[in-house]
Amino acid sequence: MSVTSVGADARPAQWRAGLGRLAAGSRAGLGRLAAGVALLTAVALLPWLSGNDPALTVLRARSADQDPTPAQLAAVREQLGLDEGPFTHLVHWLGGLPRGDAGTSWVSGEPVLPQVTAAFAVSFTLMLGALVVTIAVAALVSARTLYLGSRRRLHRRRGATGAAVLAALPKFLLASLLATVCGVWLGWFPSSGWEGPSSMVLPALALGVPSGAMIGGLLDQALPAAFHEPWARTWHAYGFTSGHIARHALRRTLAGVLPQLLPTVVALVGGAVAVEKIFNIPGLGRLALDAAIAQDLPPLQTATLVLILLGITAGLLIQALRRALLGPALRDGALPALHAPALPRRRSSRWAAGACAIALLTLVIAGLLRDPLHVDTAARLLPPSAAHPLGTDSLGRDLLARLGHGALRTVGVALAVTAVCTLTGLLLGMATQVGAGLTEAVSTLPAVLAGLLTTAVTGPSVWGAALAVCLVGWTPYAAQAAALLEQERASGHMLASLSIGAGRGYRLRRHLLPAVLPAVLRNALLRLPTTVLVLASLGFLGLGEQPPTAEWGRLLSENQPYVELAPWAVLGPACALVLLSVLAVSGTASGRSGPRRTADR
Amino acid sequence: MRTNSRALFAALALTPLLAGCFVSGEGGSGADAEGGSAGRLRVALAVPPVQELSPYSNDATLLSKLSVAEGLTALDKNGAAAPALATSWKQTNPTTWTFELRKATFQDGTPVTAESVVNALDHADAAKPKPRVLSDVTLTAKVDDADTVTISTKAADPVLPLRLASPALAILSAKAYHKDGTVSPVGTGTGPFKITKLTGKTEASLDRYDGYWGGKAKAPGIDVTWIADGTARANALRSGDVDIAEWIPTAQAKLLDAKTRHEVPSVRTDSLILNTGNGMFTDPALRAAAREAVDGSALVDSVFGGYADPAQGLFGPAVRWAADKRVDVTGRAKAATPAQVRSKTKGKVLRLATITNRAELPEAATVLQQQLEKAGFTVKQDVREYTQMEADLLAGKYDALVFSRVTLLDTGDAVAYLASDYKSDGVYNIARLKDPKVDQAIKSAAEESDTTKRQQKIMAAEAQILRTDAVIPLVHEKVIQGIATNVEGVLLDPRERSLIDVDTRLK
Repeated sequence: MSVTSVGADARPAQWRAGLGRLAAGSRAGLGRLAAGVALLTAVALLPWLSGNDPALTVLRARSADQDPTPAQLAAVREQLGLDEGPFTHLVHWLGGLPRGDAGTSWVSGEPVLPQVTAAFAVSFTLMLGALVVTIAVAALVSARTLYLGSRRRLHRRRGATGAAVLAALPKFLLASLLATVCGVWLGWFPSSGWEGPSSMVLPALALGVPSGAMIGGLLDQALPAAFHEPWARTWHAYGFTSGHIARHALRRTLAGVLPQLLPTVVALVGGAVAVEKIFNIPGLGRLALDAAIAQDLPPLQTATLVLILLGITAGLLIQALRRALLGPALRDGALPALHAPALPRRRSSRWAAGACAIALLTLVIAGLLRDPLHVDTAARLLPPSAAHPLGTDSLGRDLLARLGHGALRTVGVALAVTAVCTLTGLLLGMATQVGAGLTEAVSTLPAVLAGLLTTAVTGPSVWGAALAVCLVGWTPYAAQAAALLEQERASGHMLASLSIGAGRGYRLRRHLLPAVLPAVLRNALLRLPTTVLVLASLGFLGLGEQPPTAEWGRLLSENQPYVELAPWAVLGPACALVLLSVLAVSGTASGRSGPRRTADR
Repeated sequence: MRTNSRALFAALALTPLLAGCFVSGEGGSGADAEGGSAGRLRVALAVPPVQELSPYSNDATLLSKLSVAEGLTALDKNGAAAPALATSWKQTNPTTWTFELRKATFQDGTPVTAESVVNALDHADAAKPKPRVLSDVTLTAKVDDADTVTISTKAADPVLPLRLASPALAILSAKAYHKDGTVSPVGTGTGPFKITKLTGKTEASLDRYDGYWGGKAKAPGIDVTWIADGTARANALRSGDVDIAEWIPTAQAKLLDAKTRHEVPSVRTDSLILNTGNGMFTDPALRAAAREAVDGSALVDSVFGGYADPAQGLFGPAVRWAADKRVDVTGRAKAATPAQVRSKTKGKVLRLATITNRAELPEAATVLQQQLEKAGFTVKQDVREYTQMEADLLAGKYDALVFSRVTLLDTGDAVAYLASDYKSDGVYNIARLKDPKVDQAIKSAAEESDTTKRQQKIMAAEAQILRTDAVIPLVHEKVIQGIATNVEGVLLDPRERSLIDVDTRLK
């Protein structure tokens, strides 16, 4: 088997590689430490940077009726020792940590650590539930390719339409839907609360299905390349069972996809606020958000620290898993590169792309001809009709018009953010050692935290949301790029290329980028709808376009309360997101040409 | 190598299952009280505890809502002071009152004495920061005899009995007050229900307190769940997980069975507040133009889904005495025509702010934007979470704000709201109103001790404030309480202070 084939007398090489890894390991450790310290310091400065008096926000969190008189604010300030400045607080808090004391909450006066650990346990359990669903959905999504590929019947490339549709489903919408249908109507599971394993089912599904589709989509796209490798052909010819071949192809591709679990699933520990709210789950996301809004520093810092540690632990675990999967091949530079075969595309996926493009175009043009801002309170929540083809929202505004007018802005900003994130991700992914630490530390941080830091520095602004999402949104691409690069660097042809004297630039251009870019791009496009939603989720901080401007993410969130009363109000924007996602994924698949890739090898 | 990776896969697949059951089993430990215990009320409340149920925080209302703790007085339906722990009181001179206590015991078994009352009031007065209800008064409580307390204030305080009904001034046993300044009402109140367990910010259980002076409560206990999300609260009621769910959002109200939907006029008034201190609305003609342009009744059936009343003034139907004593507003400025508005604003943009904390407000702002634009204004919205914009609001960075405000604060006295929001030195004067006539009217109402006259003066002050067009009332909100059909005796209180008492029970 080619994956683990190692020369018998490779001991000196192993030894050298071992030393190198040790050095790299310590550098990566430094990277993690630096990233962690930087993030914690940024959080510690938040109340002082934001220009929002922490005494006022804490007073508000305690009592909504309190009059913010100077005397009251002074009392709070004195109580919390706010005049000592951020660094005294940070040092004090850090000093308490070894004793297991994470300080007391500024708002409630209660010790922070028990709160944070309880919330973490809840969120972690939920994340594990979501992980199970993710694995199941990913298996379903990639099952067909695995089945056909292992029997060498994979003659056409798949369009990944199904995965794109599922991945584009907004989690909060799925959560609302599940809570209503399975919780209230059918009564199968509790509609809210955290009382036992049965309360876990619905939220885990809401979180896991889109994540699973995302992971499955990536896996599905990488599998044909593994089946295309010579070993698979040889094994098939020798009569190895298809199960055996499938297992090894999976092992070969999983190594590249596994790092995606960190920003996609592990990040749900702190980043599932919307779903936690809908199901009333006392998780870490809500705790961190409440603390951040009240500028209650001790719990916020502790939650951040927990998330950073979680990210680093999960990152190390995933790395170990990858090593176990790829084995010595990775270490000894004996991996063949994983390049996609030039399979002809199935006609259906081309049709899908075309249909989506036409549908979106019709939607936008029809929408642009209508008034998106006209409020007509008499015509609220009207079902689709000739006058309002997609119905109206709660203020009687025409949904088609709002979708059409929002399209350009939504897609434009999301694409720009995705481009910046992808580029950052690629760059940091290439800076292996430092990048890895930073990626792990940042990937579990919720975008809201970045949003708060952004508002603190720039104030509420249109571009603030984009900046905030860029700050944390690059991690999936960095993780992916780093994993793929590691494999590519370990491939035989890189060694050949090196030995015939290829320069850095040449290697980057001809080998590294071509190996990484297509997969990263596909990932980015699969995440496009998520980006739209995350951008909109920062609206409550005053970031992004202000209402009543039409924007798809806002359309979804502002109509979410009406999901049961007027399903069309969310159906329109959700479908538009799905169309966009399918178009992006299947459209780019047809745009890329395969033959050039094979010529490289 | 192969077995190794297989083992890893197995571990990966098994961990979630094992850990999932384990941790969630622990996480659900607060659920032990439910199920078989017949007759216990299951309640979903909206605002999770912030300070371990301290009466000096937001959590105070919980103590009165669930009849855990009581003050010396309580408010009756008309908003007048009624006996609670004090059976009667009299004013001996303008600054001194004596209160006769009833025979009662705390939930920890100790008797309610004059000494314990003085202790409780002293702690409230010394609390830092001071509870809002005491922010404009300094009171000293003294033991007269075992069941008589004398309370004196520095300046005359005609509404002292109302003040003492505030949940922040609940009388707790000496055990409740800790050395570090924290206060715990767990098992230290005097009400018919005592808190037995508080699980973080998610759940609490209460048992009936059999030694309650007013007789045994009909329900054996209460299981409280805090559900911050309105849709989730409505869902919990619809799926039968709870018997009572407070504050159902108007968007969800139609989904409830009509028999479980109970509307209560609330003391909240939503209004458009104009910044008279700086920006375009320093011009009275523009304020008048805005007032004429804005039509709050358009919001009632749309944004509020019928669960609101068109605004009559600052005080709505929940303040029962207001309608009869309302004073006509005279002397308002003449409104600028749309053409005048355009020339006066000279392309300046009206910065319209609102908060996301109440779902209806952003929708209302969008409707108002259209109405204002018709009158010639150019409007730009700024919508944020309240704490994200409070400092900017107080600093006068907006021209207008769509806001929802409780008109009877914890004193239960309307003057407190008028003074903090519209007096020149008011601490919550977002309108930045500085009008001598308004100041005079509020001051005169504050000094009046006769109830009827005080109410008349309050309404005169309301007319003075409305005259300035600094505030344009839009609607008076209604609260929708979701109550399952098998529950009876739930209190529908416009002040949102009471919900469950001795008579509330499952049928």
